[in-house]
Amino acid sequence: MITPEEIVGEEWASWYRLSPQERWRESEKLWQVYFYLGGSLDTQPDTQSPFFDPEASSAGAAHGRSGVRILRRSRV
Amino acid sequence: MGGQACVFYGAAEFSRDTDLAMFASSDNLARLSKSLKDLQAEVIAVPPFEARYLRKGHAVHFRCNHAEALGMRVDVMTKMRGVASFPKLWTRRTTLEIDGSTIELMGLPDLVRAKKTQRDKDWPMIRRLVEVNYFANRETPTKDQIRFWFLELRTPQLLIELAGQHRISGQLFQQRPLLKALKLEDESLLAKLLIEEEEKERQADRHYWIPLKKELETLRHARISQTKP
Repeated sequence: MITPEEIVGEEWASWYRLSPQERWRESEKLWQVYFYLGGSLDTQPDTQSPFFDPEASSAGAAHGRSGVRILRRSRV
Repeated sequence: MGGQACVFYGAAEFSRDTDLAMFASSDNLARLSKSLKDLQAEVIAVPPFEARYLRKGHAVHFRCNHAEALGMRVDVMTKMRGVASFPKLWTRRTTLEIDGSTIELMGLPDLVRAKKTQRDKDWPMIRRLVEVNYFANRETPTKDQIRFWFLELRTPQLLIELAGQHRISGQLFQQRPLLKALKLEDESLLAKLLIEEEEKERQADRHYWIPLKKELETLRHARISQTKP
């Protein structure tokens, strides 16, 4: 039988092997990190969506500045 | 029914919005209005929050202003292309309990159908959703699961493995013509046919949205005219 690793690699295979509840919990941890870094709940514009409305306003960060800032960037 | 459901079923999506599928009865709309009021949600784009737009297949978009959900987007829809009616979705839903709260998720086959859109990001998601279900259940599958995998797997190697273990009924060949190529056990050919199948669905989705997008455009123009002094 084909293993998940053969299809999607080890990292994804370990995600596949979690139970639905475990995946939910792991996702919650990601949210905690995201908020810790100042991430906002406001979504990115999805330009491929038929719902995309370029006129729809963005809430922006509550404190008026970008939540996650790039402090250093590589040349590439 | 969106990103949170994908996480539960096995794909990973860091989705910041909450997609709600609902039955567009006046009672339900009143209940939803009350909940959205509690969240201090405002409609942020066209169309307005009216049953007639939901029934046509539009989604209504909200942003919450409550301090505990600041900026959270909620998208509400009642009808999706190629997806069963809400009463059927409801009977096939998955119910889970997280920290004492009950959450109703769209059933996996319906979620896969709903994801067959024109957007690039939905297609890898479908592949992962079905792969996870296949790997988790392939040793003791039900008839429904086998049928679901034959109709929805998007991984050539797994389709070939599945065909090696289970017979394909004639009806399935009609529903998914690429299954006829499984006897050749040619992964490259299957990959090509899967891309063609995807493009056909994306084209159908674009076509479905033509009149709806025209209506949205008209509503946007009307909104702009109203806001101009």
